[in-house]
Amino acid sequence: MGDNLAGVLTCIQCGKCTGSCPESGKTPFNIRVLIRKKQFQSVIAEGIPWFCTSCGACTIRCPRDVKPSEVIIQMRSLLVENGKIPLTIQKALENTFVQRNPWGRSRNKRASWTESVDFRIPHISETKDKRLLFVCCIQAYDPRCMVISANIAKILQKSGLEFGILGEEEACCGNEIRRIGETGLFEELQEENIAAFKEYGVKEIIALSPHCMNALKKEYGYHGIKIFHYTEVVSDLIKGGRLKLEGVYDKNVIYHDPCFLGKQNGIFDAPRIILNFINNLKLLEFSRTRENSLCCESGGGRMFYEVENSGQRNSDIRVQEAIANGADLIATSCPFCLMTLEDPAKEKELPVKDISEILMEVI
Amino acid sequence: MNILVFAKRVAAAQEEELRIVNDGQGVDLAKVPFKMNDWDNYAIEEAVRIVEKTGGAVTAVSIGDAESDDVLRRAIAMGAKDGFLIETSETIHDPNERASVISDFLKKESTPFDAIFTGVQSEDDQFASVGGILAARLGLPYASMIIGIDSFENGQVTARRELEGGLRERIKLTLPCVLSIQSGINEPRYVSIMGVRKASKVDRKIFPMNNYQENFSNMIEIIKWVYPEKKAGATMLTGELSNICKDVLGILKENGVCQ
Amino acid sequence: MSYALVVSEIRRGLFEDRNLDSIGFSNLLQRNITLLIPEGDYKINEKFVNNIIKVRIEESSFLNPLNMITALEKVINLKGNPDVIIFTLSSSGTELASYASGHFKLPLITDVSGYDKEKGIFLKSYYSDKIFGQFKLTDTGPFIITVRSGSFKDNAVEKASLPASETLEEIQISKNRTFIEYIEEDSTEIDITKAEFLLSVGRGIGNQDEIAGYEELAALLKAVISGSRPVIDKMWLPKPRQVGTSGKTVKPKVYFAMGISGAFQHIAGMKDSDCIIAVNKDPQAPIFQYAHYGIVADANKLRDNLKVIMKG
Repeated sequence: MGDNLAGVLTCIQCGKCTGSCPESGKTPFNIRVLIRKKQFQSVIAEGIPWFCTSCGACTIRCPRDVKPSEVIIQMRSLLVENGKIPLTIQKALENTFVQRNPWGRSRNKRASWTESVDFRIPHISETKDKRLLFVCCIQAYDPRCMVISANIAKILQKSGLEFGILGEEEACCGNEIRRIGETGLFEELQEENIAAFKEYGVKEIIALSPHCMNALKKEYGYHGIKIFHYTEVVSDLIKGGRLKLEGVYDKNVIYHDPCFLGKQNGIFDAPRIILNFINNLKLLEFSRTRENSLCCESGGGRMFYEVENSGQRNSDIRVQEAIANGADLIATSCPFCLMTLEDPAKEKELPVKDISEILMEVI
Repeated sequence: MNILVFAKRVAAAQEEELRIVNDGQGVDLAKVPFKMNDWDNYAIEEAVRIVEKTGGAVTAVSIGDAESDDVLRRAIAMGAKDGFLIETSETIHDPNERASVISDFLKKESTPFDAIFTGVQSEDDQFASVGGILAARLGLPYASMIIGIDSFENGQVTARRELEGGLRERIKLTLPCVLSIQSGINEPRYVSIMGVRKASKVDRKIFPMNNYQENFSNMIEIIKWVYPEKKAGATMLTGELSNICKDVLGILKENGVCQ
Repeated sequence: MSYALVVSEIRRGLFEDRNLDSIGFSNLLQRNITLLIPEGDYKINEKFVNNIIKVRIEESSFLNPLNMITALEKVINLKGNPDVIIFTLSSSGTELASYASGHFKLPLITDVSGYDKEKGIFLKSYYSDKIFGQFKLTDTGPFIITVRSGSFKDNAVEKASLPASETLEEIQISKNRTFIEYIEEDSTEIDITKAEFLLSVGRGIGNQDEIAGYEELAALLKAVISGSRPVIDKMWLPKPRQVGTSGKTVKPKVYFAMGISGAFQHIAGMKDSDCIIAVNKDPQAPIFQYAHYGIVADANKLRDNLKVIMKG
């Protein structure tokens, strides 16, 4: 733990981290104070590190490169090693250990979503270009998010872009697992996926979720494989004329930047390019947009853990603002954001759509 | 206090569709992941918690193939001191065989213990019997469905057994004894991969099972695997979800519970 | 003479219904039935059996494996070896059966739910009823079994005459396992066994956050909420809300199972409901075999849809 302490000691307690944190103020979570406590190696209450949504804003803004969001992961690692973690997070980890997905669904059914597509999706080994569609857990199993995988498969097929899948050989990307602090399990998942990529000579990966893209791109070490989020690939297909958007979409669409796509990986334009290409679609922006996008609060293990006393949910704030701005719907490009925003939006009868869903209406 | 806990590696079949193969002679588990039997996980946690208070050690014992070492490493990561593998490639279906192997093992290896814990049952065969047969073979007091342990001292255990309909009974047993632990007795700790890796450094002892089989021949045998008989089955409601909902409300009304 | 020895399960003065399955199984074997029972005044139809042997012992000591083997030894001394000793599939039945099997070194098959007399094949559940094993004895017996409740009770029939009855001489009570007291669950909680309409949730609802939505739906439908074992284990609902063998046995007018796949332990606690409606994502879920109406869908979606309709 020496290195990590050294990093923490450079902190000047400027408070930029807390200032940008989506949890500060409304919860007991104060990242600046936590770093301070870490400097003095004083005790941190067990429940506190679980508030962090891993949005990364603190790390991006820190003038001393303390990487507070990484410090949180280290704090969680200690709790994980001591076995003292919230039950629902424990279950997600145990499920991932056994079935390679946090919901514990059968690994053998990881390709079940392909049944909703009316053409056969080849295994990566049967493809020429070795372009892998990395589906990952939520798009493989969650009925709400399975449509994203089906949509993108259809869009790629229509554009004539060859791709394949790993099916049941694919394991969870581990992005959330690492953020929960289960480093060992993350390494296992990473090794398993990398071994599969190598075995089939994968050259390029299209990730459906920004979370997976982040892990594959930045946390799997050097593997020489090009990693894209689907919005990058699809925006290129549209620009290059391979995917024609013929329909009209007479709606005001407000776009929510997912933290893992936007602020953490700098992909702000690709989704907007797609939306702007759609006839009649009017693109609106939130007051907090792009680098300043307000975190939906479902990252970093929060998908599996309900914190107490979190005040008004950020997703509520987002939905209210969308309505106030006259949006007919919220568009996003992350399954976690989609699920989290949809919850309060449903009550207000405001649709929330993944960009792939809007695309399916206009191609 | 020294506690032996028997833990089994089982197929995690909960989410799987199991296929019967070879004309009923086998069940295809090739693609099914394996894990520690859920009830045994509770048993190990309970034993570790007791030993943390009373001193002594927990030893985890597993009967199975080399892969069952997974279960031992996990148990050690949870706080067991040692792991013993009684190794065999055969699948044991007769609970009397399993219990006989264990009692022979305990005698031959003169393994000392104050108590033996098992899970109430294993997820695969659900015999729920090994603990009871073993206790009787060893001439020890036995209790199953243990859902709470009140005290574990002075040669006695006070524990709560789960009965039916939410009823429980409090009983007292003298040590040594055999207890079968019910799920829900505690919240088993999380075992991290790092923890399992560290546990791998603790030596596990391997004993070949055929050393403990001389005095036993099978009392029951499995002839064939079959799928469950399909009952008449439900009237399936299909179509649009909103129409299904209307059907449901109609059914509720018909049955006089919802206006 | 060959006979079947049925060890009765008496709990709090009540002759449990599932004893009839033990009696039914004996009839299937075509054996005379001897019922072993602690001395006391119970409401039972004695005509179901040929002999009754009473043991001078409290029920809590009777249902204790250490005393049971002493009682069984006395019975065997008196009557010779039975062909089969049958226990109920219950917390105590399983405990007694396994201990007796180990003590008398007799073959044991638990949770028997079917029997083919011609072939001598016992049907036993594996993997929560996903598959079944057909078992045979390697020798002719005697043997010990526990029988699944509901499987054989239809074979329990009245005999022409009342049974002969005798009482065993006093048996030595073991000091190595003793009964202290019964413990009731917290009774301030609502009693799900008295509800006419249960909305019951299972693992399939996904996570704890979903519970609130079901509570809301239950309030709209004027249903009482209950759950299956995993839901209680995870503490999503309090223990008194549990339906199943380790929880409550319920018989409401309507049992609405949402996200419950239907492990046997659960089925046993609700299968006698007047009307069972089941929602599950998995069309293969065993609960559909017991339900009157089935819906293959995401329980949470159905819930939300129902809520919308109910709110009008």
